[in-house]
Amino acid sequence: MATETAQPRGSAGPADAVSEHLTLDDRVALLRYMLLMRGLEERAMNLYRQGKVPGSFYDGYGQEAVSVGAAFAMSPQDRLCVLHRDLGAHLIRGVTPARILAQYMGREGGITGGRDGNVHFGDYRVGCVGMVSMLPDMMLVATGMAMAFKLRGEKRCAITWFGDGSTSRGDFHEAMNWAGVQRLPVIFVLENNQYAYSTPTREQYAVDPVERAQAYGFPGISVDGNDPEAMFEAARVARERALAGEGPTLLEAVTMRMHGHAAHDDMKYVPKEQVEEWRRKDPIDRQEARLREAGVDTDALREEVRAAIDAGTQEALAMPMPDPATATERLFYEGDEDVLTQDGAAPWSGFDSGGDR
Amino acid sequence: MGASGTPEPLVDVVMPQMGVSVSEGTIVAWRKQVGDWVAYEEPLVDISTDKIDTEVPSPAAGRLTEIVVEIGTTVDVGTVLARLATDARPGEPHASENGAPPTSEAAAAKGETPAPATPDPAPEPAAATPAQAPRSRRRYSPVVSRIAEEHGVDLSQVEGTGRGGRVRKQDVLAYVENGNGAAAETEPPLHIESPYRPDPAPAGAPAPAASAPAGVYEPPAPQPLSRMRQSIGAHMKRSLETAATCTTWIEVDMTAVQRERRKLGVTALAFVARAVIDALREFPALNAWMEGEKHTVHDDVNLGIAVSLGEDGLIVPVIRSAQDLSVEGLAKRIKELAMRARGRALSPDDVQAGTFTITNPGQYGSIMATPVINQPQVAILDLEAIVKRPVVVTDAQGDDSIAIREMTILGLSWDHRALDGALSAQFLAAVKRRLEGL
Amino acid sequence: MATMTYLQAISDALREEMRSDERVLLMGEDIGVFGGAFKVTDRFIEEFGPQRVMDTPLAESGIIGTAVGAAVVGLRPVCEMQFSDFVACGFDQLVNVAGKMYYRQGLPVNVTVRLPSGGGFSGGPFHSQNPEAWFMHAPGLKVVAPSTAEDAKGLLIRAIRDRNPVVYMEHKHLYRRVKGEVPDGLYETDFTARVARPGTDLTVIAYGAMVHTALEATEDLDGASVEVLDLRSLVPLDRDAILASVRKTSKALIVDEANETCAAGAQVAALIAEHAFEDLDGPVRRIATPDVPIPFSPPLEQAVLPSVERVKEAARELLEY
Repeated sequence: MATETAQPRGSAGPADAVSEHLTLDDRVALLRYMLLMRGLEERAMNLYRQGKVPGSFYDGYGQEAVSVGAAFAMSPQDRLCVLHRDLGAHLIRGVTPARILAQYMGREGGITGGRDGNVHFGDYRVGCVGMVSMLPDMMLVATGMAMAFKLRGEKRCAITWFGDGSTSRGDFHEAMNWAGVQRLPVIFVLENNQYAYSTPTREQYAVDPVERAQAYGFPGISVDGNDPEAMFEAARVARERALAGEGPTLLEAVTMRMHGHAAHDDMKYVPKEQVEEWRRKDPIDRQEARLREAGVDTDALREEVRAAIDAGTQEALAMPMPDPATATERLFYEGDEDVLTQDGAAPWSGFDSGGDR
Repeated sequence: MGASGTPEPLVDVVMPQMGVSVSEGTIVAWRKQVGDWVAYEEPLVDISTDKIDTEVPSPAAGRLTEIVVEIGTTVDVGTVLARLATDARPGEPHASENGAPPTSEAAAAKGETPAPATPDPAPEPAAATPAQAPRSRRRYSPVVSRIAEEHGVDLSQVEGTGRGGRVRKQDVLAYVENGNGAAAETEPPLHIESPYRPDPAPAGAPAPAASAPAGVYEPPAPQPLSRMRQSIGAHMKRSLETAATCTTWIEVDMTAVQRERRKLGVTALAFVARAVIDALREFPALNAWMEGEKHTVHDDVNLGIAVSLGEDGLIVPVIRSAQDLSVEGLAKRIKELAMRARGRALSPDDVQAGTFTITNPGQYGSIMATPVINQPQVAILDLEAIVKRPVVVTDAQGDDSIAIREMTILGLSWDHRALDGALSAQFLAAVKRRLEGL
Repeated sequence: MATMTYLQAISDALREEMRSDERVLLMGEDIGVFGGAFKVTDRFIEEFGPQRVMDTPLAESGIIGTAVGAAVVGLRPVCEMQFSDFVACGFDQLVNVAGKMYYRQGLPVNVTVRLPSGGGFSGGPFHSQNPEAWFMHAPGLKVVAPSTAEDAKGLLIRAIRDRNPVVYMEHKHLYRRVKGEVPDGLYETDFTARVARPGTDLTVIAYGAMVHTALEATEDLDGASVEVLDLRSLVPLDRDAILASVRKTSKALIVDEANETCAAGAQVAALIAEHAFEDLDGPVRRIATPDVPIPFSPPLEQAVLPSVERVKEAARELLEY
């Protein structure tokens, strides 16, 4: 099986690359979700500096296209295991700004009710499964979900995101192998942001993971991770493959981590020139330029996004902290109903008429 | 005293003053023989006074060179009992050792306390781990302690069948079942005032056995009374000769007390003590001493509690300033004093300065008694068994009915020289009011 | 009622539950065509097919991780670790993903992980372990360990139906040695302790294979009346049953086949010390495997595993105490 390559690896891709599957509204939506992700993370960072966010703080600045583009291709019935730099996927599925900010602040109204922090969450009400810190454990969970879909003959897929450092762990191999052996409808999004904490990819692997996919029996595709439309298109194709029973796809989203690993990290181990180079490839700037060219009033869009974040901030700040007495409660599920039964939002126009396609 | 290392040729051991009122003492036993090495503060001689029995620790380290007062002899305080040669050294042979090196086995074989085998020529006072006859210290498991507590069992009386004679749960349960359990609902078996304890029937006084052969009766050899028995006897006799003793009784409904005490896990005695203390504050004339013409009314209530020492007799440890204690505090102090009394661990101060005494012999079911006043006090209160009885009770509407109540009879012996019947009746009524009004 | 071995009872539970609930699937190494290393799923593949009796890659983390994924979307996977020892390779998925999912995210993980455990047959350091305590210490996991055929079936059905991750310890040494009457059809055994033999003088607390060791050791101890409590469930631990028994007998001996330090029995001992102190008439005694790997050679292995004789001796000492 040959490795397919949608874009030359590391290249930004043509500025006018437009998927034929995206309407103008879709393209605006992609920008809108990226703006919302960046704005929310900047707001959360400010709350962090104001002492309102406990613990540490991680963001996905500069990587917005990876989650927004890929998640935009997912149907309501698909299931997502989202990484901590991929807030955009949650926004696309319908998680509100207020609940996300409350999550950062450890409030009762956050998705985990204060039991976990940051983007360590998955809202089962919108078809998501929360990640754990050991990466890429969720590759196996996504593989298992895909396995269940296949066993039941359901036309849907699972998707999960993980970083370049994750490819060194055994679970990467176990999931790649398992999904390949069973030809499961799963999409692995390898978010190659060049650094695992401070360790550059050259110290992480000798062979690019995207090439390894072939060894597991399925395509590995390198995508411009700073282009939401390219990410969408790659994920859309991978999903088509999955639903057609052709098995998994590894998408390598080539991008750059523009902030430190977390708020405490000044990233001095990264050459300045490298950061500068990637700043010029900022996914929001690129999508905004495309849309302005197409006559879209992106200022109004920015204003709308800012208003939504402000409103969400007020709402989140009004939420109470969790009751300490509940810390030992709800360890075991006493109910009988399945929980992960509700589907998420799927704003892509492609799902408008035909449901999943 | 001879605690210093300065060698003095001879040090006298004298009859100590065991409390202000003690004037004489009797030698009970010598723990050392002439020629034995004695460490500083090592128990040397057991004495008995009319207040207390105790041991006399050696005033110095040295060899016992002379015993002046023999066992059974009563001498005045200050009398020389023995002499020690302090320039002697441990380990040196002496007459009784026939030159053999002293070994602790040899000493133990003679039933003596082995002298500490210290090579230090000047034994330090600190080294005086009083090498007493090792009183086997028993430890009890949590459940055994708890059962003992619940049933008022004196664990030292329980024979252990566990490893090394350890008292096991089944041992204490068996003990409770074999009759001591009867004490569970009543007071711990501590408080028996001897005045009405039947004097030990003359040892031989044969119950007129049906088949007793007629003829000349030959009683067994009489035994001398113990020092304590003699002392109690003298004390009681003196009281009856001294005071104009009268006794007044009152019946008290103890139902409320019983309910409360079970809640607190304490004895009824503690509640009675508290009520008596309050009543004494109301009627201080009963909290007094009468010594000849001298009549002393006390502010503090130093409450004596009669504690039975079984066949040995009884002793009355005193709770000083008892008015400051709550019911729980009184219960704790009573228990503690009783334990120390039974362990013969009371100090002279523990038995002095009582201003009023309570005695509590109710455990065998007796319901009335005439206690004998503890001189120089002017009154003593007697608490007997608490028993269920049908009682006429009157409700708020004034209607009478018969109810089952837990009743007792409190007896107050009082000295007519110091007060009159009306006052003692009022005092008893005050106690009753407090106990019933809980 | 039918007489079955412990092994057959486990098979019976799986078979009956698979027949009644099509969401149940079995995942493990060599469980399909081969029928499992211990033949628990012998011929299952003929009845249920290779999709529900899934021969997986040799990947314990993969087995547990994918089972978590399958469970959250509605299946009821039952994972077999070929030997309980191998669960170490799947530890992260079990402890960090499965155990914490519901607490963190409100998403229950309906996974059962079967761990063939225990020694006594020269399995050596990697085929003889009793790793239950690892999982007792991981919040969000339940841990059960049957000792009889009847409980093997009832506890397994209950575990499969439990909406939380359950670690099911099945003792290899009991597979064919223990036989008993097993009720027909589907029934659940609660995650509570069971009095294996009532008594009044001493409580011996055990689970799994050690229940049989305890019963044999105390069958005739000079007429002493010894209660044997079979814990059956380690998480949740049946506090009430443990405390009630110890309060009755006032003496406790706890037998673990696992390595001694921080074993299940240590938790039981702590529970007794804390909550039944006032009722004790002797020290809480423990017998367990010393803190060494389980050695291979028979004399070495027998030297470390708790034996009938060791239990007998400790029971005697406690009874006499």
